[in-house]
Amino acid sequence: MSTQVKQLAKADAFKGNRIKQDKETIAFNIIGYTLLTLVSLICLIPFWLIVAGSFTDELEIISKGFQLFPDTVSFEAYKSVFSTPEQIYRAYSVTIGVTIAGSLLGIFLTSMAGYVLSRKDFAMRNGISFFIYFTTLFSGGLIPWYILMTKNLGLKDSYWALILPPLLSAWNIILMRSFMKSIPESIVESAKIDGAGDFKIYQRLILPLSTPGLATIGLFLALGYWNDWFNANMFITTDSKYPLQFLLYKILSSAAVLQTNNGAYLAANVVPPTETLKMAVAVVATGPIILLYPFVQRYFVKGLTVGAVKG
Amino acid sequence: MGKIKKRWTLLVSLSMLASLLSGCGGSNNNAAEKNNSDASGGNASPSASEATASKEPLKKVKLTWYLVGDTHKDMDKVMAEWNKMLEKDLNTTVDLKFTTWNDWQTKYNLLLTSGEKIDMIFASSWADFYKLSKQGAFLDLTKLLPEYAPVTWGNVPKDDWGSVTVGGGIYAVPNTNPEYTPSGYVYREDWRKELGLPEFTDLNSIEAYMDAVKTKKHVTPINGLVYDNVNVLFKSWNDFQMIGGNELIAATSYDTPRDIQIVPFTDKYEAWVKKMKEWADKGYWNKNSLSSKQEAGDFIKTGQGAIYWRNPSSAGGFINEVKAKKLNMEIGYFPFTRFHNYVMPTLPSSNAMAVPKSSENPERSLMVLDKLRNDPVYFDLMTYGIEGKHWAKGKDAKTIVIPAPGVDLNETPRFDIASWGWRYEPNMLKEEGGWDGLDKLKEEFKPISKPDIFGPIYMDYDPVKTELAAVNQVFEQYGKPLMLGLIPDVDASLKTYRDKLKKAGIEKLLTYVKEQSNQYFDEKGIK
Repeated sequence: MSTQVKQLAKADAFKGNRIKQDKETIAFNIIGYTLLTLVSLICLIPFWLIVAGSFTDELEIISKGFQLFPDTVSFEAYKSVFSTPEQIYRAYSVTIGVTIAGSLLGIFLTSMAGYVLSRKDFAMRNGISFFIYFTTLFSGGLIPWYILMTKNLGLKDSYWALILPPLLSAWNIILMRSFMKSIPESIVESAKIDGAGDFKIYQRLILPLSTPGLATIGLFLALGYWNDWFNANMFITTDSKYPLQFLLYKILSSAAVLQTNNGAYLAANVVPPTETLKMAVAVVATGPIILLYPFVQRYFVKGLTVGAVKG
Repeated sequence: MGKIKKRWTLLVSLSMLASLLSGCGGSNNNAAEKNNSDASGGNASPSASEATASKEPLKKVKLTWYLVGDTHKDMDKVMAEWNKMLEKDLNTTVDLKFTTWNDWQTKYNLLLTSGEKIDMIFASSWADFYKLSKQGAFLDLTKLLPEYAPVTWGNVPKDDWGSVTVGGGIYAVPNTNPEYTPSGYVYREDWRKELGLPEFTDLNSIEAYMDAVKTKKHVTPINGLVYDNVNVLFKSWNDFQMIGGNELIAATSYDTPRDIQIVPFTDKYEAWVKKMKEWADKGYWNKNSLSSKQEAGDFIKTGQGAIYWRNPSSAGGFINEVKAKKLNMEIGYFPFTRFHNYVMPTLPSSNAMAVPKSSENPERSLMVLDKLRNDPVYFDLMTYGIEGKHWAKGKDAKTIVIPAPGVDLNETPRFDIASWGWRYEPNMLKEEGGWDGLDKLKEEFKPISKPDIFGPIYMDYDPVKTELAAVNQVFEQYGKPLMLGLIPDVDASLKTYRDKLKKAGIEKLLTYVKEQSNQYFDEKGIK
């Protein structure tokens, strides 16, 4: 009986009609809200620890460990991260630029590839699909890849070295292909009858119909570009071309080297605090993406669920 | 003039081709080099590059150099100045690149295996110099050196050239700056005085100190990460000389290099782990000391530790840091060399510059290096930075002050790049205000210095790599806890450890290491 009432109340709440709730429902809601609040707080604690840790004095962390509320607040870690602020800003713009350019280009190419492979009247689709799929099983290894990038393509120290490698992935193409397969073939046919060319069909019909899929791929690509440090590590040699993640990684590793290898004559050198530096770096690296997330979240959720169901 | 130029270019490219064709700097290469010197023999003075430079205008060349580690904030300014001088003197500019410290080994190997055009690169025994030169990554410099780097050719001692000679060819230019990096303990000297303990001389005095720190100060003597702190003491006290970079096979002492044994099978090891069990039970370190991520030195800074393993130069860094942070403690340093009264300098090949096979201008690169090592103006600029900005002249010609007066170190950090490859002792400057203990130690080490006869043994573990991997696994799992006494029963654990090692094939490994070492000892005439 009571469950029925609850369901009714729920249904009414969805409609926006307020009816008097009985005691049970109120109790249920109170418990539910308290539990959810607690769970969310627990989820927030690790993030808070990172933030608090980044503002703690290095020696305090060593002697007392990480605390939710530090005894002495210190900005040393941020000072070493921002010791060359213009470099951080430049790295930010490199990362943002590469992420935007790479994601847009990647979405375009992946959806084109996916579309072509999803068309049943494309004779070689199975062969090419296999060709793409095959690359996920084997890779040439690091050395041939490096030689290809630097010697054959001449991409050493070029922004293209950051954009090109993650651009197309077999996984994304296959995902896109199966997503587009779910679009009825008759849509394409009817458009053909109306006299639309292949590119027009792709542009006017297929793309709008596959926005959830595109959002998913876009999310994967954007996160991939945002977090990528390896390509920069391998190919970028000029400081001003470092993307954010690599710059921060570099700051961390050189701090670690300084800590263990400082020589007797290093009297004058400023040794950065390694423990708190890690936390500060995490804050600096994740900050913007976390701020961005609430605004784009709804697209992501929709894209991911739809993509998951149909892909 | 144009004709000569053309011929020269042709010969250089021919020699390049030849070196490409010959797998590993073999006879073809040498022949090409001979041709090359014949060609310059057409000029009046074939031997001195300086003279060649003045007679025949050098073609303008851009070189690419690679160093390990990180670049410096003001690197562009330093390079601009350096290139200005280089352009005037040698009609050359250098594009200096760095690997950064992230994954530098992967990058370093990729640079050499991919055949990228690099004219000079930092090389070192710890960066696989011996392996890489055997694989033919570097150019044989034997014929080029006297002609294009005559000053360096003259002032590097013969033994040092020997240490970069692989299979009869010289593959790098070693630095000439004997460094001593023996192991030792950094410790709380003020506590030692306060508690009225004797100075460190042997194992007993160290034990007495740890005991007093634990019982009277209620501080864990070695806090945080412990393994290395105990392991170096073990090796130094027993004079085990590890061979081929593994932790288990060693010569029993410096004087008996051919007596090579499996360390855990020796009586000395058994006695040692028994003692370590005692130490662990007395609480000289914590139970979690194998998994801790914190350096023992960090706990000294917070007053929660007393002992930390360091080499003299980084001990100095530690002491200076404590002073700079005004931590109000006195730190002492005890080098383990005093156990046996000898010290081995680091190998000359541990810091060197090499010319990769892919270089298009090896001759010019050597000329630049020759200048860099031996001309103090060049040397100071690239080693210490710009005068008046990064450093200033000290009270005499051999000392400098860092930073220069009126310069804020937060704005202009000290100029510190991996300049190790071109160091040359007579050009090195001393910094005022550094740790004075280092100079005293250097004085102490010089008379007891003995050559490192174990470092250059090149060990290619390929034929026994399965055994090596299995043995390392056993060592991680059973050896480390045993060394730190973190086991309930020493005898039982030692027995298991030895059995497991045998099963993993340590004897095969021993045979191989012995074979390789004896081969090296025979070659060098070491008994």
